[in-house]
Amino acid sequence: MRLEHWLYKLPLRLRSLFHRGEVENELDEELRDHLERDIAQRVRLGASPAEAERAARIALGGVEQQKEEVRDTRGLRPLENFVADIRYSLRALRRNPGFTAAAVLVLGLGLGASTAVFSVLDAVLFSELPYPDAARLVRVYQKNGPGNFWTLSVVDVQAIAEQQRSFDAFGVARWSSASLSGAGAPEQVAIGGVTAGFFTALGVTAAEGRLLEPRDDTPGAPAVVVLSHALAERALGGAAKAVGRSVTLDGVSHTVVGVLPPKRNELAGITADAWPALQLTRPPRRGPFGLRGYGRLKPGVSIEAAERDLAGISERIFPIWASSFQDKTARLFPVSLRTTIIGNADRSVGFFAGAVALVLLIAIANVGTLMLVRTSEREQELSVRAALGAARPRLARLVATECLTLALLAGVAGLGIAAAGISLVGSFAPNLPRQAEVGLDARAVGFLGLAALFSALLVSLSPLAQVLRRGTAASLVPDARRAGTSRSSNRTRAAFVIVEFALALPLLLGSGLLLKSFLQLQQVDPGFNPEGVGSVDIGLPVARYPNDTTRLRFWEQLVERVQRVPGVVATGITTSLPPDNGGDVNNFDLVAHPVADGTNQPVAPWVWVTNGFFDALGVELVDGRLFTIADSGSAPPVIVVSRAWAARYFPGEPVLGQQLIEGGCTSCPRTTVVGVVGDVHYLGLETRAEGVYAPLAQGGIRSGALLVRTNGAPGRVFPAVRAQFSALDPELPFAQEPLSDRLDASLADPRRYTAVLSAFAGVAVLLAALGIFGLMSYVVRQRRREIGVRIALGAQPKAVTRMIVVRGMRYALAGTAIGLVLAALQMRWLRSMLFQVAPTDPVALAGGAGVLLLAGFLACWLPGRRAARIKALEAISTE
Amino acid sequence: MSKPTDLVQGTLDLLILKILAFEPQNGWAVGQRLKQLSSDVLQVSEGSLYPALHKLEQEGWISAEWRPSENNRRAKFYSLTRLGRRQLARETESWRRLSHAISAVVRLREV
Repeated sequence: MRLEHWLYKLPLRLRSLFHRGEVENELDEELRDHLERDIAQRVRLGASPAEAERAARIALGGVEQQKEEVRDTRGLRPLENFVADIRYSLRALRRNPGFTAAAVLVLGLGLGASTAVFSVLDAVLFSELPYPDAARLVRVYQKNGPGNFWTLSVVDVQAIAEQQRSFDAFGVARWSSASLSGAGAPEQVAIGGVTAGFFTALGVTAAEGRLLEPRDDTPGAPAVVVLSHALAERALGGAAKAVGRSVTLDGVSHTVVGVLPPKRNELAGITADAWPALQLTRPPRRGPFGLRGYGRLKPGVSIEAAERDLAGISERIFPIWASSFQDKTARLFPVSLRTTIIGNADRSVGFFAGAVALVLLIAIANVGTLMLVRTSEREQELSVRAALGAARPRLARLVATECLTLALLAGVAGLGIAAAGISLVGSFAPNLPRQAEVGLDARAVGFLGLAALFSALLVSLSPLAQVLRRGTAASLVPDARRAGTSRSSNRTRAAFVIVEFALALPLLLGSGLLLKSFLQLQQVDPGFNPEGVGSVDIGLPVARYPNDTTRLRFWEQLVERVQRVPGVVATGITTSLPPDNGGDVNNFDLVAHPVADGTNQPVAPWVWVTNGFFDALGVELVDGRLFTIADSGSAPPVIVVSRAWAARYFPGEPVLGQQLIEGGCTSCPRTTVVGVVGDVHYLGLETRAEGVYAPLAQGGIRSGALLVRTNGAPGRVFPAVRAQFSALDPELPFAQEPLSDRLDASLADPRRYTAVLSAFAGVAVLLAALGIFGLMSYVVRQRRREIGVRIALGAQPKAVTRMIVVRGMRYALAGTAIGLVLAALQMRWLRSMLFQVAPTDPVALAGGAGVLLLAGFLACWLPGRRAARIKALEAISTE
Repeated sequence: MSKPTDLVQGTLDLLILKILAFEPQNGWAVGQRLKQLSSDVLQVSEGSLYPALHKLEQEGWISAEWRPSENNRRAKFYSLTRLGRRQLARETESWRRLSHAISAVVRLREV
């Protein structure tokens, strides 16, 4: 019944809405027809035509009134009024292009920036990971204390595969790089060696061919690989053509069995181009670690249950491998995959969100001020409307609609700004996880709409109050208007300005602190001179370099050949590159000061090097000796330590000759400290410069970097280095990187944070200054006559300017003071981003407040000067 | 001139529906019929006629159609819809109850 009812009603409503003209014409025609018939009848009954017409019209009761009443029956009145109000607002805004442009731009900027940050927030933090039923995915770690997590070994993985009862699927990945040949020039690509369970656990499917199957994991099975869509396109001419072809990874030929869908080159936080099947053989000892475990929980199994299941496995396998692994406290431990991927991204995203929210609020306050000034200027117009009978609610609706129209226009502008902002996210935050998922989607547009409505609400509050509060006919008289306009609306305007200053100060302080911290970071001595030094990453394929002897021979021959190149000052091999490629980190136990039972051993960056490395990087020997030819693989293990390491572990004691147990291996021979060298930062400039060097000959390492110091012209020397390199092994990829680039890159994150926050702070200061400028200009215009009288009575121009500036600066000072309090509350979460700067740094505090007050002063001085130039006679006689 | 409020609330709707139940009519004719049928007792203002007609149309109880009329021009004719017929039955029933109730009260003899 109801449905049938609406089947009749709906088409009529739609017709009156969208074919309004037609409907109106029909109404016209119908009423005219009625009149004609009525007149004809009256004439028939004996009336004169003129009389008949008059009588008919009276009987009908006014054609226009009839129409209005009929229109009311359509039930579209509120909508029609709304549309009319919007039209009226647009007309009014068009008449005031300066005001409109300023308000739309300011609010659009705030809305656009916050929408861009919202889309990042939404994609990175709020939405599910892009896997089916992603809440059930976990990553499995080894853990021996809060905060100390590491990867799995083959022993762990095989034990989990055999004993676990919590997962539907479990798989592992080893993230590394390999030289890819057989498709164009050899290149170094990122690879994720994975077991079949990895894809099954994540629930991804192949775009072409198939993914891995359990039989691919068994040792001895034919080598197969799954490629990323991008690599298949780039190297093999398309996804469909790639299946069945073969590619060579680190010298081993792999058959391509499948290709992942486009945009799937990142899985579970691993970005790779090729995903070869990982074949795990039964190991002789518990380590080494380096495998990432991923599982999909069975439906209904909680992560706590999985934790107990895995802890049981840890306890059962510990006794079996106790000879090679003594840490009894280590447990296999599941962590939700989401947590591991998002990591501390919420901190940096939260930081942007806070900054952008402040900018949006300032923008709203600014537009609020503009709107108030505008409403005050329309006082007379509004009074006329009120006098002509417009009800106060109607006037209020007019003002509210104008704010809404303004916010909608700003929303449209914000859409463009948000789109531009989102395209910049990649360059501002290259390390942000899940970046591919960030976009201007329906949710972001919805957010923009809500934010626009919210700002319309805030902006319209005070003009509404102003309209509703005013007496009805009071202000048609010009003088009454000037005296009255309301002290209270001036107070509201001042409040807006104070809010703007209060909100701008924390932004300014934050950016000041970040800037100071950044400058300090730049002052840190990295421990080396990067000028003229370049590095080449090298990974030796197991297929062609099967054992320690062949690998060591390669490293030694490479150094020998490169040393002979003219222009090379020094060269060496290293497994870590400063300032922020930690390479390996090793735990150790000092024989002289062993750690207590059950506590964690200390760790330090562990760098395997050839002697030439120290010269190439420019690290000086402080005490003892460097390595010699006698420190071979069969000789007792020796290390050289950095000055900071010596100072931390042997303060005031001789460090040379001290011994330690490396990597928890109690059955291995003790390692002896033979030398002390200068400090180099391996884990970032902001961390301490402790480091331990071991001779390359005692490491048997597979991958490292060739470090070359040239006589100042790397561009001329490196081609010759490359020739020597390729002569030694033509299949290895060669890519040279200047060390100065690495140093720059390590400062990139702090530089970006500083740049973004400074930009926001700049916008905030500009808006605050604009706000106070607008307010004081208005005050000057409002008090034009009074100022004219003062000047006529002999007031000095300077005194007039001072009067205006003093008044304006009162607001600026009040805002800045409140801002300091706000800043004090909010600064503690900046602390983690600061380097050797306290959040209460007096220079930053004074600087921030100073910049803000200076901007405020300039913004007050301009209208103040204009006030001083008012021509007394003109001002008094006008109006 | 009597105002629509003088009629019992909703009575005008009932009358219009009843008149249109006989045959489709144009607005003017509906007004004339009203006067005739009520022997001029119910002086319905033409001013309230059209809003009422349009309201009934919007409710879906009557539908309108443009037809050529006797003077060779087109005129808007209203006719009862299926929904309208049901509505008429409902309103007739409630009117009957109301008038019975009122008559009963009015017939009470004072002692």
